[in-house]
Amino acid sequence: MNPTAVIYVLTAAAIFGIGLYGLLVSRQILRQLLTINLMGGGIFLLLITLGGGAEGPPDPVPQAMVLTGIVIAVSATAFALALLLRWQELSGSSEVDGDAVTDAVTDALDDDE
Amino acid sequence: MIGLAIDSVLALGIVWMALQTVRSDSLFQAMLMFIVFGLLMSLAWARLHAPDLALAEAAIGAGITGALLLVTWRRLQVHGPDDSNGPRLMTRWLALPIACASALLVIIIGWTALQLPAVPGTAGELTLQRLEDIGVSNPVTGVLLGFRAYDTLMEMAVLLAAWLGARAVATEFRPGVLPGPAHAEVPLVGALLSLVVPISILVAVYLLQAGGSAPGGAFQGGAVLAAGGVLLCLTGRLEAAAQASALERVGVILGLAVFSLTGLIVMATGGPMLALPGVWAIYLVETALLLSIALTLVLLFAAAPGLRRAP
Amino acid sequence: MILTEVMASLLLISGCFFYIAGTVGLLRFPDVFSRLHALTKADNLGLFLICTGLAVNSGSPRITGLLLVVWILGLLAATVSCHLIARRAIRSGQAEPPVAEPRAADPTP
Repeated sequence: MNPTAVIYVLTAAAIFGIGLYGLLVSRQILRQLLTINLMGGGIFLLLITLGGGAEGPPDPVPQAMVLTGIVIAVSATAFALALLLRWQELSGSSEVDGDAVTDAVTDALDDDE
Repeated sequence: MIGLAIDSVLALGIVWMALQTVRSDSLFQAMLMFIVFGLLMSLAWARLHAPDLALAEAAIGAGITGALLLVTWRRLQVHGPDDSNGPRLMTRWLALPIACASALLVIIIGWTALQLPAVPGTAGELTLQRLEDIGVSNPVTGVLLGFRAYDTLMEMAVLLAAWLGARAVATEFRPGVLPGPAHAEVPLVGALLSLVVPISILVAVYLLQAGGSAPGGAFQGGAVLAAGGVLLCLTGRLEAAAQASALERVGVILGLAVFSLTGLIVMATGGPMLALPGVWAIYLVETALLLSIALTLVLLFAAAPGLRRAP
Repeated sequence: MILTEVMASLLLISGCFFYIAGTVGLLRFPDVFSRLHALTKADNLGLFLICTGLAVNSGSPRITGLLLVVWILGLLAATVSCHLIARRAIRSGQAEPPVAEPRAADPTP
């Protein structure tokens, strides 16, 4: 087995684990977004390593998928950041709290009517 | 041997940066660590023989995402101090075994897949054999526009949807949504801009043109062009406008429209949908994609309906 | 052939040395201004040496030209960002601007 591939599979696993841990324990939405992106990075790394990146040019199909994935990740992050800004305007905090979300959204809907 | 050493150091650096992103006390520091993480990832792509991904990661993953994160952080500061004592989804002691188990799962998947014997006739091999049919020699561009064009079309749709979504949730327009042109009057900044913005356009066009035969393509080029636009926004040369101009509206949907239309015309003339008829069509679609990607990313950064030149 | 390889290696190694020096300065120096000083000066020289080393190694005029562009762009970005960071540090009052202190043991006649 190619030792380079082993190194990058282990790295991918570590990033994914760290990202998931961060997602579960972090208190701020912005940091949770960072950790979701970390998890994505781990999966991308795994895809390319398994596509043969350690030995030579990796298979073009996973490469194209990861390229698509990188753009999708930035789109999703941008949308999430816009949601975060709106949420902070409504609630005055950058944390997640289920009841507060419901209250703030209800208030906002009431205002619109 | 020395390659293995570089890979190990790089891997350690990536893991360390990921750890710091999660662990550091200040959110600002975490964001910086995340940006450095993206840069190290782009080195990892280069080590894994995927220069297309290295370019995309450096320009989009680290550059544009970093700019978006920093500008959002700044906007959050304007609204109020960051209160970092919110509730966690779960306690550390519950999260740790879950994270370890999921990392183990990734290792098992990777280990199993590495043990599998190579299968002949994968999609990638077929692509490499048939690259000449579509007229580009960069296999990644070939896959993106020749063999999996649906993916690329839907990717543009996702980008457009993200922008529309961001517009939909944004509050009513306020002129101050961009960080103020704090450095607008510094002479050095003007000199730098007058060099860097034309160079970003040049590099974007080069990446687009090179994408057929070398690393590059619409997405990398679009991100570089967007970086030029972000610089113009940051230095107050471009301002947020209350309304998108007709040109901007066309620009945002240009990639999707040109791609779909080309695909439909091909279908109307009897070919399969989205099968691009020749190299000129690939470059036409890529140019439209590049313009749309760049404009959408800049508008997402500005969090404004449109942009106009500052007085 | 050997000569160019030795030259390239020497240039690359000395470039790495300046990068390490700049990084040590960034980590060890006490305030914003001396850190900027270490980072921009040492790293720009390091980048120059590494670019030259790579150009010597490649032996191709095209790559040499591209590396030159890389170095100039790096130089420009470092200059302007250094200026902006220093300016910001002074304006926001986070750091005192460096003032040339009168030497204590100035032997004035």
